[in-house]
Amino acid sequence: MSPVHFIAIPLFAAFLIPLAGKVSKELVKIIPGLVLLYLSFVSVTLFPIGTHHPVVEIIAGFKPPFGITLYYGAIAAFLTTLITLIGFVIWLYSYKFIIREPIEKYYMLFMMLITGSTGIVLTGDIFNLFVFFEITSIAAYSLTAFLRDRDGAEAAFKYLLIGSFASTFFLLAIAIIYANVHTLNLADIAVKIQDVPVTTRLFVLILFLIGLGIESEMFPLNGWAPDAYSQAPSPVGAVFGGIVVKAAVYSLMRIIFLMFNSHDVLHFLLVMGIITMLIAEMSAMKQQQIKRMLAFSSIGQMGLVIIAFGIGTEPSVRAAMFQMFNHALIKSLLFFSAGYLVFHSGSKKISALDGLGHDKPITSFFFAFGALAIIGLPPFSGFWSKLYILLSIADAGLMVPVVLILISSIIEAVYYLRVVSRLYFYKEEATDVRRTPVSGLIAMGILTVVILLVGFYPNLILNWMTPAAADLLNKASYIKFGLF
Amino acid sequence: MRKVIAILLLFIIGYYSLDVLLKIPFGESAGGVGKHYLESTIKETGAVNSVTAIVVSYRGFDTLGEVTVLFLAATGLGAILYDKKAKKRALQNASVIVKTSSKIIYPLIALLGAYVFVHGHLTPGGGFQGGAIIATGVLLMFISYRSFETNHKALSIIESLAGMTFVTIGFAGLIYGTSFLQNILPFGIPGELFSAGIIPLIYIAVGFKVGAELTALLDNLLKTIK
Repeated sequence: MSPVHFIAIPLFAAFLIPLAGKVSKELVKIIPGLVLLYLSFVSVTLFPIGTHHPVVEIIAGFKPPFGITLYYGAIAAFLTTLITLIGFVIWLYSYKFIIREPIEKYYMLFMMLITGSTGIVLTGDIFNLFVFFEITSIAAYSLTAFLRDRDGAEAAFKYLLIGSFASTFFLLAIAIIYANVHTLNLADIAVKIQDVPVTTRLFVLILFLIGLGIESEMFPLNGWAPDAYSQAPSPVGAVFGGIVVKAAVYSLMRIIFLMFNSHDVLHFLLVMGIITMLIAEMSAMKQQQIKRMLAFSSIGQMGLVIIAFGIGTEPSVRAAMFQMFNHALIKSLLFFSAGYLVFHSGSKKISALDGLGHDKPITSFFFAFGALAIIGLPPFSGFWSKLYILLSIADAGLMVPVVLILISSIIEAVYYLRVVSRLYFYKEEATDVRRTPVSGLIAMGILTVVILLVGFYPNLILNWMTPAAADLLNKASYIKFGLF
Repeated sequence: MRKVIAILLLFIIGYYSLDVLLKIPFGESAGGVGKHYLESTIKETGAVNSVTAIVVSYRGFDTLGEVTVLFLAATGLGAILYDKKAKKRALQNASVIVKTSSKIIYPLIALLGAYVFVHGHLTPGGGFQGGAIIATGVLLMFISYRSFETNHKALSIIESLAGMTFVTIGFAGLIYGTSFLQNILPFGIPGELFSAGIIPLIYIAVGFKVGAELTALLDNLLKTIK
């Protein structure tokens, strides 16, 4: 068993699906589920090994820095498990939700997106990171336009333009790094970049911040996100919030902690995180469409994560990882339930949701559950991560971010509870005879159980966050293992 | 006023970019991994074309990714342009001269494409280039004959099988060797057609894949009339 399975197996499945489609339409839908089940099995087997001691896998038999390596440490173990879990739930949800042709292409794109994002998380080579970034983003552009309507095409085109801009910056940064240090291995770069002139390093840092900041939804580079989230099919919204953004933020943080680990850079991140969070939460307040509101809320949550990373202490990084985990689960749940709420009400508008809580009690319950969890009320898991972030910031002696996070939490509570109150306390207008499919309900049910379980026993996850935070912060050990 | 500020900012950015780029020594011999690749390509991979050795062997994993990117682009385009109704190309039939000559050239172009990807480890070019050459041959036929049709089912099967071959070669390295995509075949005598281990196999798969993909892509894009 080796970490390369996370990348190669879904890729193989993506190539296999067209052939399977010639045999049976049902097989096309089943294969991704089997692949994700297998990946979760791989995850369970490798997880204890990876968190205990990083597994560095050589590709093509060439020792680093001459060949490409995969670095399966604590943080990669955690994120691949998260991606597999969210991917599996999204597959369950898509099973009955995606009924428009070409279904085959949907699952191919989905499988390649999983390949790309696990690749981003696992790779120990900066150009390889770029390749997986391209895979992830091109799959994301196509999935955004999957419904083939006018708005979807517009959103996808916008995303494509901004995304290509990001890739160009990213590639230029890699080229400059290679020209200066003559290596592409991340650990090797981390050693050699210290000798590079400061102006060059600063230039590369800016290129990275723009290139990766776009996918990480950092202000002011997140203009694509609300459109892409809201125009894509609902499970794809969950893909963005649960998988793509997490992989992007991880790679940004990995690069910053390895190559540009200084207080100034972290302070800059902190400030950007705060601006991202405040602007996104205020924009979410104004939204009339439920999925756009969720998109802005997602940006706001990523701002919170970036703030916690920007503090840069061990407890804050741990809390940031925990928040990433919670956000992936809760935002997926919200997108899932919002998808069916939109489907039943027949409109994307929040005002069309009046009284759906009586007509569609289960789906509405899941939405309300997710809303309360993301605001951070106990006993849901969102409470703990927000609490730990606040505590870690207070420990670092910074009171202003604490206040601002609390204010933005109040804004968050207002706009989420506004939707929930519409669901339950407004008059019922029409009833929709269509039902939410069982596979969708199971998907939401799984997420609910995990959120509640982690809410009651936060240590289940927090215990794994300690080695993960150490993995990200301890540059020396990354270099030691990454280069042998 | 805004324009003046924008121009000023552009100058500042331009100045710093230039400063950084000018610091990179130009034309000097490569150091680091580049030097290692140049010196030990034949010894470590058995290929005389060191570009191919880097692309397929040292950084074969990236190439697998690049193949995926192209596959992804074709799949995404197929998903966005999907239509149940059969479409036709808007092109007119070309003149007799073009038609006759393209009929003669088409097999030759396909042959050249195949030559380029089979000899990827010996001469400049490789799977991507060979595949692209084959697709240009098909494009010539599309332009000349309005009725020229490709078998879409066959194209998609070729695409899938070629992609799966690449991943399977990777897994063979993991099973019979020590790592994914590792070379498990003998290197042979450098410079001969049957040499360089798995490189020609990978390039043949890539050639077929890229050729089939670009052909399907062109067909998709040219068909606009319902």
